[in-house]
Amino acid sequence: MSRQQEREAQIYPIVSEAVIHNTKILTNLQNVTASLFGVAAGILGLESYAGFLFYFAFATLVTFLTYVLRIAPESISAGLPLFDTSRFFRRAVDFWIGAVFSGLPGFILTWTLFYGIVRA
Amino acid sequence: MAQLPDQTIHRDPQLFYWILVPITVVMVLTGILRHYASVLLATPSKIIDRPTMKEQRSLIHGQTVRNNHHVLSKKSFEARREVLINAYESGAYLKNGAGKDQAPTNPLTDPGAMDGMMGMMKNNMAMIIPNTLIMSWISAFFSGYVITKLPFPITIKFKSMLQAGVATKEMDPRWMSSISWYFLCIFGLQPVFVFLLGSDNAASQMAQQMGQMGPPPNQPMLGAGPDTNKQFLGEAENIAVIDHYSVLDDVELRLLKGIKG
Repeated sequence: MSRQQEREAQIYPIVSEAVIHNTKILTNLQNVTASLFGVAAGILGLESYAGFLFYFAFATLVTFLTYVLRIAPESISAGLPLFDTSRFFRRAVDFWIGAVFSGLPGFILTWTLFYGIVRA
Repeated sequence: MAQLPDQTIHRDPQLFYWILVPITVVMVLTGILRHYASVLLATPSKIIDRPTMKEQRSLIHGQTVRNNHHVLSKKSFEARREVLINAYESGAYLKNGAGKDQAPTNPLTDPGAMDGMMGMMKNNMAMIIPNTLIMSWISAFFSGYVITKLPFPITIKFKSMLQAGVATKEMDPRWMSSISWYFLCIFGLQPVFVFLLGSDNAASQMAQQMGQMGPPPNQPMLGAGPDTNKQFLGEAENIAVIDHYSVLDDVELRLLKGIKG
C-alpha cells in the first residue's frame, strides 16, 4: 500500500466493531427471510431450477429493499453515487452477493421440509 | 439413456409426525443444550501474577505505540520512545529482575499453558460427542426407509451417502433417508441457532470454531515460550527505527479545504 493510501487509512480509520455490527445485521435478516422463502417455495411445490430462481430473486429483492430503506437516505445525502454502499460496507460484493449465499442452507432446509410435507 | 420417469412413492402421512419432526426437534434442543452446557462449564479465566502480567503488558504497550504512532504528536511520541527503549534495554520489566538469557518455558510443564489447552479440548469434545450420539441414535432407530424427496435433482454419486439403509439400483437419488435429513439439519439449523441464541453461541458455526481456537487474552502465552528479553530488545530496535509522522501534521489545511468545499 502506498504511503499516501496508508495515511488516508489512518486519518479515516475503519472501526472493526462497526463493520462486524453491520454484517451481523445483514446476515441475520437474510437468514430469517431465507427460511421463510423456503416455506413458501415448499408449499408452492417448486422444483429444482424454479425453486432456486425463486430464492435468488427474492433474496436479491430483500437486499435491494435494505439498500433503499436503510442505506440510501444516508448515503445519497452524503453525496455518494447511486448503488454505492461504501459508507456502510467495505466491499460491494460482500453486501449484494455474500448475504444472498449466507441464507442458502436455511432456505434448502425449510424448502425440503415443506415440500415433503405438502407434496406427499 | 432414457430419462427416468418421475418416481412417486406413496408414503404414510404419519411418517412426518413420527420421524421428520422428532429429528428436527431433537437437533434444535441439543444445540441449545450444548450452548448452555458450554456456558456453564466454561473455566473462569486464570489470574496470573503481577510480574508476569507486567512483562506481557509492557511488550504489548511497545507494540501498540509502534502501530499507532501516527496519532501522537511528535513530542509525546519522542517521550514514549525514550522511556520504552531505556526500559527494554535495561530489563526493567523482566520478571526475574536482571537475569537475562533465561531458558524458554516448556509448555508441557508450565501449568498455565495446560489450562489453555484443556479449554480448547473441552470445546472440541463438546462439539463432537453430541453429534456422534445423535448420528448413532438416528441410524439405530430410523434406518431402512426413505423419508422425503429433495426438491432438486442431484447426481447418482450421492446415493451411497444419502440413502444409507436402502440399497436399490434404480431409485432416484432425490429420495433421502433419515441420515441425509440429519446432514441437512446440521447446515440448515445454524441460522436458526444464530437467531435464537445470539451470534456467539457455542452451537453454531462449528467449522469456524474448529478453525479458530485461540487462548483467551488473560492467560500466559502458549507455544515455545520465547525468551522475553530477546523480544524486548527486538521491540526496542523496532521503535528506534520508526520515522514518525502524525496525522495532526496538516490538519489545519485539511480542515480549511473541507470548509471551502
